[in-house]
Amino acid sequence: MFEKTATEIVEKDFKTIEENTVISDLGIDSLGMLEIVGSMERQLKIQIPDEALAGIQTVRDLLEVVDKRQSA
Amino acid sequence: MLVPPTLVAAVRALAHDTVLGFTFVRPDGSERHIPFADICAEAERRAGHFVARGLEKGQRVALVIPDGDEFVLSFLGATFAGLVPVPIYPQLSFKNVAGYHETVRHIVKASGARFLLTTETTRPYVDPVLQPSPSGEPSTLDHIEIVGAFAGPAPEDAVVRARAVDVHPDDLAFLQFTSGSTSRPKGVAVTHGNLAANSEAFMIHGLGKDSSVDKGVSWLPLFHDMGLIGFVIGPLFTDIPVVFLPTASFVRAPRLWLEAIHKHRGTITYAPNFAYALVSKRIKEKEVEQYDLSCLRRAGCGAEPIQAKTLREFASKLAPAKFDPRAFLPSYGMAEATLAVSFVPRMTGVRTDIIDARALEKKSAEVASPDAIEKAAAGDASLVRELVNCGRAFPEHEIAIVDEDGKRLADRQVGEIITRGPSICQGYYQEPELTAGVFKDGWLHTGDLGYLVDGEVFICGRAKDIIIVRGRNFYPSDIEWTVSELPGIRRGNVVAFSVAIDAGGNPTLDGAGDDQLVVCAEGFQSDAAALSETIKSTVAAEHGLSVHEVVIVPQGSLPRTSSGKPQRRKTKAMYQANELPRAQPVQRGEAADVSAPVS
Repeated sequence: MFEKTATEIVEKDFKTIEENTVISDLGIDSLGMLEIVGSMERQLKIQIPDEALAGIQTVRDLLEVVDKRQSA
Repeated sequence: MLVPPTLVAAVRALAHDTVLGFTFVRPDGSERHIPFADICAEAERRAGHFVARGLEKGQRVALVIPDGDEFVLSFLGATFAGLVPVPIYPQLSFKNVAGYHETVRHIVKASGARFLLTTETTRPYVDPVLQPSPSGEPSTLDHIEIVGAFAGPAPEDAVVRARAVDVHPDDLAFLQFTSGSTSRPKGVAVTHGNLAANSEAFMIHGLGKDSSVDKGVSWLPLFHDMGLIGFVIGPLFTDIPVVFLPTASFVRAPRLWLEAIHKHRGTITYAPNFAYALVSKRIKEKEVEQYDLSCLRRAGCGAEPIQAKTLREFASKLAPAKFDPRAFLPSYGMAEATLAVSFVPRMTGVRTDIIDARALEKKSAEVASPDAIEKAAAGDASLVRELVNCGRAFPEHEIAIVDEDGKRLADRQVGEIITRGPSICQGYYQEPELTAGVFKDGWLHTGDLGYLVDGEVFICGRAKDIIIVRGRNFYPSDIEWTVSELPGIRRGNVVAFSVAIDAGGNPTLDGAGDDQLVVCAEGFQSDAAALSETIKSTVAAEHGLSVHEVVIVPQGSLPRTSSGKPQRRKTKAMYQANELPRAQPVQRGEAADVSAPVS
């Protein structure tokens, strides 16, 4: 899902995303990242608080935060 | 003067107003409204807390506070105590933490701040700055505290001492650290007099503020000039209520900006070009229909090159919400001039100058022929450039265009934009050499190239980045814009520059050889060859310029500033030193090898 959303937002083809990829290494800046987070929030109908975003560095970090909000 | 002489006097003058004030929208959508009377009382209380900690007039205090309300109240508290706040952007997620610590360390040291105020959630990201740097340099910071420690009444005697602090127009009001796309952040020294002069200029002469009807709506970051001076300080000087949204909320859901204007009947807003583009891209038709934006009198645009196309798209997309395109207010400004340098006249909207691209290469901004304009409309974009009119200097301020020798140029001659007036700052804090290079005889040398037509200014690009190929002048931002419109390329991931190339086709370090255009873009290895070809042919078609080399670098590998903009000069230096990581090693003659029959 991250890959699909990131591809839509950033309009680039992400072929090599792995869970331990550091998000900034994908060339996604913080604004782009927030766009992705916003889109995932809408699609999954969840809200991710800013505090939860603070420590995110890798794709896995982000997916863990999303999982937690979905089961909450 | 039409406004109070200092920020402190301005806030005190609003102390009677228990109704209007600032409204802070939190990330969860709830709101905190603080009437001006309470803002004044809160600033006095926090000033007492600062004074109680032994801080004295003129001392700098660093502020790393992500929450809008806490930031504004702490900033004003420091100001009331005569201190010099130094706003620093909070750590952003998804980023390199070591780089952030380095920036904070640098700003703290350059400003001489020994005290840093932050929040409980942000503290872990700044605490490491108290320790020696990785290279062993001791910290210049004595103390980090959280705003929570300022809760409750300040000691009585400290409040009395804070109230006795006399703040003058010539006193430093704060240090505005600019990210600078080329160098380490430097602190622009802004006085209370600068703030008063510029607030009068943009709020009264520029926006034509009307305290009986106006209300600002802003999601701009408060640690940058446009958000802080444009929507906190200017409105305090001129008695205008404002609604603040968190920047992150806007980026995640751009419709929240429009929703806030609709709900609060906002009349004034402001944003860089990219934000208008983001709204056009993200907003859905059925969302637009829910809003009534007929209340919006001023939609300012500035801080980065303004694209007429972006604003026109926004206007047409938002037409069903009764957005009035005449509300667009293109403007020009920079931190060294406090904030604003020029605004277009009110209700004139986006007016552009369509000029001859070939003449522009020779530093002359000639109106394009009807024939060229027609051809451009039919798709041949290489013949003309469309530049947005950024208006004229404010009363008591002046804009001029000069050549390399400082000689004044006539209308429609392209040269460096210089400006003077009471908004121009004293210089960079404790950086006499940098200051001397930019602030000369009262004139601020902006480093931007542009031209004037009947006193109205048009911006072409940065002087230092100009690309000169065989006597023709090109602006890297134009080329980068063209390339970033291509599929597979994201805006902000492209850098264009010129480099001297020797007879053997290799870059030289000493500038010997012919200047040639190099384009670096982030992309994937598998696409690199195709992408390079597309970039070359597009730049050739749109600018009539051949690219010496396209370098596709891996995602995220262009050097960037703290605010995420690619650094042109650093990229160029890396290219010259052959240090750029390449997604695909380009070997000359490679194509021939591939096509050669194997057997």
